[in-house]
Amino acid sequence: MDYFAGVDIGSTMTKVVIVSDRIEVSLIGPTGPEHRKLANRVMEEALNKACLTFENLTYIVATGYGRINVPFADRQITEITCHAKGLHSLLPSVKTVVDIGGQDSKGIKVVNGKVMNFVMNDKCAAGTGRFLEIIADSLGVPLEKIGEISLTAEKIAAVSSTCTVFAEQEIISRLASGEPIANLLAGIHDAVATRVCSLVKKLNVEADIAVTGGGAKNIGLVKALESKFGRALLVPPEPLITGALGAALMGKDIFAKYMAEGQKPTRSVNKLEEATFFE
Amino acid sequence: MAEEKKGRAVATSTAAKIPKFVRGNLSATLKAKEEGKKVAAAFIADGQDEIMRAMDIVPAWGESFSGVCAAKRDAEKYLQKAESDNFSRSLCTYATCNIGFDMMREELGGATPEGAPWGGMGRPDMMLGNGQLLCDPRFKWPQATQHYQQDVPVFVTNMYYPPWDPNADHHEQEAIYVKYATEELRETVKFCEKITGKKMDWDRLAATVELSDKTWDLFIDTYELRKHIPTPMDTGDAMNTMVPLTFNLGTQEAYDFYVDLNAELRQKIADGVGVANPERYRIIWAAGLPSWFALGDFQYFNGKGVVFPVEVTYRGCEKIERLDLPKTNDPLEHIAWRWVRYWTHWYDAAKKRPGSTPKVERIIEYIEDYKCDGAVFHSAFSCRSWHAGIMQQAATLKKVYKDIPILIMEGDIVDISSYNEADTHNRIDAFIETLAAYKKRQG
Repeated sequence: MDYFAGVDIGSTMTKVVIVSDRIEVSLIGPTGPEHRKLANRVMEEALNKACLTFENLTYIVATGYGRINVPFADRQITEITCHAKGLHSLLPSVKTVVDIGGQDSKGIKVVNGKVMNFVMNDKCAAGTGRFLEIIADSLGVPLEKIGEISLTAEKIAAVSSTCTVFAEQEIISRLASGEPIANLLAGIHDAVATRVCSLVKKLNVEADIAVTGGGAKNIGLVKALESKFGRALLVPPEPLITGALGAALMGKDIFAKYMAEGQKPTRSVNKLEEATFFE
Repeated sequence: MAEEKKGRAVATSTAAKIPKFVRGNLSATLKAKEEGKKVAAAFIADGQDEIMRAMDIVPAWGESFSGVCAAKRDAEKYLQKAESDNFSRSLCTYATCNIGFDMMREELGGATPEGAPWGGMGRPDMMLGNGQLLCDPRFKWPQATQHYQQDVPVFVTNMYYPPWDPNADHHEQEAIYVKYATEELRETVKFCEKITGKKMDWDRLAATVELSDKTWDLFIDTYELRKHIPTPMDTGDAMNTMVPLTFNLGTQEAYDFYVDLNAELRQKIADGVGVANPERYRIIWAAGLPSWFALGDFQYFNGKGVVFPVEVTYRGCEKIERLDLPKTNDPLEHIAWRWVRYWTHWYDAAKKRPGSTPKVERIIEYIEDYKCDGAVFHSAFSCRSWHAGIMQQAATLKKVYKDIPILIMEGDIVDISSYNEADTHNRIDAFIETLAAYKKRQG
């Protein structure tokens, strides 16, 4: 049996998926400053969970912002391509992907699992998971709860500032003047959804539309996005792993191509070694 | 790691002469006084080049100086200086960088601020603004900086061309616009005569205009050599080799530069030397000024086998024969016709393709001629007049031509705070993967 691994080093989370003819295992861990160590650690855990060794892996593809910091990867492919591939395998009807990550958000237009076009917001924290993290922290609400709490809002409190720092300031002063937390959270989700929607609409948006990334785990944000796009959005079962899954599947395709051409793929390293950050 | 082996970018050796041109233009403004010449703060592509050259007026190109500050990553002090007087960052950063520099120079009584990139730029004796369709800051920029240099006279002309209207016959309108532009140029001459105290030598002006026409022709002949596969020159180089055409038009040095570049490109073609080896994808730089502090990004493209054989930016000329200019003995009228037709000569082609526009038609022409696989647009946030409409151009291109891969890069021309190298390279990588998928689909 051939096994293929995808490693997605995002700005806040590191994800590993191992596939054969099915998904063998998926694992998520936080990304710290030491990408390389983390990639090794998460990979080791994933292999343990799947009862595999590094030598069992046929091909490894790294993706995400930290993809060049995965010393054991055989190939690096951007998260745009990997998201499209991974999502197509899970939800083949999807033509537009909205990915809300820790420090960026993006829209991807997909045809048969291939990227047709893409847009990214990587200049401003508003419209990203980090923005929500900061606001949740200011309100003293656990990040994983903000979605549900926002759904209990009586009204959407308008948040005028799109700058994270000033939005935080605005939230605190509105809270002091008695605005309920739920209304404020609904306002924040509305602001993020507005920003993301205007970004993604630069693409010629076609249904079905799916949401991935950490933002997809926030039901309040997903509902706000549905309101902006004017339709129901699809969310994969584990929206954080689509990039890593796509990377693993890309590895499988690359390997198959080599085989079809009667060639042996060039491997990067034969064993998983602890790497130091400064090497 | 098993990264793909990168090709090596090959720059032209002729481009290495460009710093000498730019430094020469800057130092000419500083030496002008001792040479008894007047300095004019001037703006590119306004039709005023030959007038200045024929009257020995030294142009002080604010756009060039700001570009140098950006390329040296040394613009922040000038941007902050302008910002301290409430010039917003969202204004043209060519203007705000230059205004900040002017402010500092005035505080020093006209002396060049210490540490100014490449020696700085001399104080002008006049300012030649130009309100036209290409760029709106050139109307307000001289007026704004005059607040700090109140003794420096400002003269703002207007050079217009018939606006695009698919239902109008621009051929009927052209003569009216030419008449207007000619009169504007005539008034510019009068203003320059007043400031310099010298009369225009009309024969000299005619000879200068003739030399400019020859330079336009040679520039296009030279750049068309880049159609060759692999291309011998990339946009990364063109952002330098545009200097003689853009800032030294009407001089023999500019013409001679393109003679050398032409010879070098022919030699590269004969030797089979391309910018990237192998050349995997050919891309058009479809619109937008570059981030002068990040020209190395072209090398990043080249290193992945992606080349730019053509760009819209700074291709500020056309073969004179193609413009079919009416004969005239008035050099100013000739400049005006050349100016108007430069913009309108894409109108007829655009009318033939429903939904198209002249700007899009120009991009399509280059994509076809230079066999491009995709397009890159650069949207610089502070360059409102040119960059407004870029998204619409990209969308129109896809709609009326082909659904080719397009990358919209975001940044600025001068303000480095808009730039993140890792993110930019990530976008470029994703674009290249999109190109690969596109070419595979095309078979």
